[in-house]
Amino acid sequence: MFNEGMGYYLQSIKSETFIILLHTFTFVEYTFFCLYIYFILPQSILKKILPFLWIGFIVFALIDLIYVNTGIEFDSFAIGIESIIIILLCIYYLFTQIKGTNSLLIYSTFNFWVVITFLIYFAGTFFLYILAQGLRYDISFRKEYFIINISFNILKDVLLCVAMTMKSTDTVNEQKNGFPDLDEDLFISKKIN
Amino acid sequence: MFFLQTVFGRPSVLILGTLGMFFMAITLVSVVVFHQRRVIRFNKQIQKMEEERQQMLLRASIQFQEEERQRIAADLHDDAGPLLATARLYLNENLIHQEPAVQLQSIFSAKQIIDDTIQLIRNISHSLMPPTLKNFGLEAAVKDLFDKINGSGVINASSRFHDNRQRLSDEQELLVFRILQELVTNIIKHSSAGFIHLTQNAQGNIVYFRIHHDGKGILQADFDKMEQKSSGLGLKNIQSRIRVLNGKIFFEIDNTHTYYKVTIEVPRQPNK
Repeated sequence: MFNEGMGYYLQSIKSETFIILLHTFTFVEYTFFCLYIYFILPQSILKKILPFLWIGFIVFALIDLIYVNTGIEFDSFAIGIESIIIILLCIYYLFTQIKGTNSLLIYSTFNFWVVITFLIYFAGTFFLYILAQGLRYDISFRKEYFIINISFNILKDVLLCVAMTMKSTDTVNEQKNGFPDLDEDLFISKKIN
Repeated sequence: MFFLQTVFGRPSVLILGTLGMFFMAITLVSVVVFHQRRVIRFNKQIQKMEEERQQMLLRASIQFQEEERQRIAADLHDDAGPLLATARLYLNENLIHQEPAVQLQSIFSAKQIIDDTIQLIRNISHSLMPPTLKNFGLEAAVKDLFDKINGSGVINASSRFHDNRQRLSDEQELLVFRILQELVTNIIKHSSAGFIHLTQNAQGNIVYFRIHHDGKGILQADFDKMEQKSSGLGLKNIQSRIRVLNGKIFFEIDNTHTYYKVTIEVPRQPNK
C-alpha cells in the first residue's frame, strides 16, 4: 500500500523519479520472477533456455529504455512483453504440475499459490500497463489506473498471504506425519546411538 | 490496440480487456485444479483396485497353503497313522511269549505295513516336491507328469523342450512346474480335451512355455474375469505364481478356432 501510495504521489507531482523507478522495477521484478521460476521448474528445455530468455528481455528492455522510450515515458512496451513472458512461464509451470504424477493436491503447495498470484496479477494488469504509456496524463485514466492497480495489488497480497499459510501448513503436516522412533523402547534408538 | 481503442473507446478496452484477462487466468487455474483433482482421484481408484487385487491374491495364496497343509495332515492322520498303529499292534510286548512261527508272521506283517507307510510318506513327499524335478529338472519332471497322464489312456499328452540349455533357477522351475500342473489339471477336469501338447522355447532372457489343447478352453478376458471373483483358487494361484516369477500369462485361441493356447513368459533369474 505504501509502495502504491508513494507511486501515486510521485506520479501526481510529475516526478521523473517515478519513471526511473518504474523502469528499474520492471528489471528487478522480471529478474526475481525468472530466478524463482527457475528454481521451481522441473528439468526441461524451458528451464535450460530460461537464462537466455532473461538476458534477451533485459537487453530488449535496455534498448527500449535507451533508444525508444529514452527514459521519459511509461515503459508499456517492455511491461507488456514482460507480462506475456511471465504469464506463459506460469502456464508452463501449471502444465508441468498437471503432467507430473504428484499425489499431493496442487493447491496445497506454496509454489502453486505464488505462481497463480503472478498469473492473475499480470493477466489483470496487462491491459492497464500497455495502455498507460499514452494516457499517463489523462485524469480519468489515472483514476481507473489507480483503482485497477490497487485492486490487483490487494488481490496479489491476499494470494501471497494464502501462499505463506500453505508453507506453514505443510511444515506442520510434515512434523505430524514424521515416522515415530519405534526403536526407542529397545534402547537402540538413533537418538541414543 | 489503437484500432481497438478507436472502435470500442479507451475505457471499454481497458475494462473489458482487464476483466477478460482476469477471468481467463481464473478459468485456467480452475481447469488446472479440477483436472489435477480428477487425475488424483483416478489414480487413487486404480491404486485401491490394485491393493484389493493384491489382497485377493494374498488371501488365495494363504488359503492354498492352508488347504495343502490340511491335505498333508489328513494324509498323515488317515493313512500313515492307522498303518503305524497296526504295525505297533503286531509288535506288542506279548510277541515274545508267542510261538516262533507266530512271531515271524507278526514281524513279517509289521514289516509289510512299515513298507507301505514308507511308500505312503514318499508319495506325500513327492506330491510336495517331485523328485524328478529336484534331481533332473523341469523337462524331466514335465515328461514324467505327461507320462503319468498318458498312462491313464484318457488323454494324449506330449511335450517338447526346444531350448533348455540354460535352465531356469530351481525356484523358478518349481513355480513353473506348479503352474503347468495346475493348467494341465484344469484342462483334464474341465475342457474334455483329447490331447495336450507343451512346447518350450527361449529367446534372449525370456523362456516361453505354451500349452495347446483341443478341448473347451478359456480366453484372456475369461481369465481376468474369473481371477477377480472370490472363487477360482487355482487361477489365483497361477496368477500369484506368475507375479512371483515376474512373468506373463496369455490365454488365446488359434485363428482356426481349433486349439486353445496358454502361453507363459518367464524372464530368467540367476540361480541362488
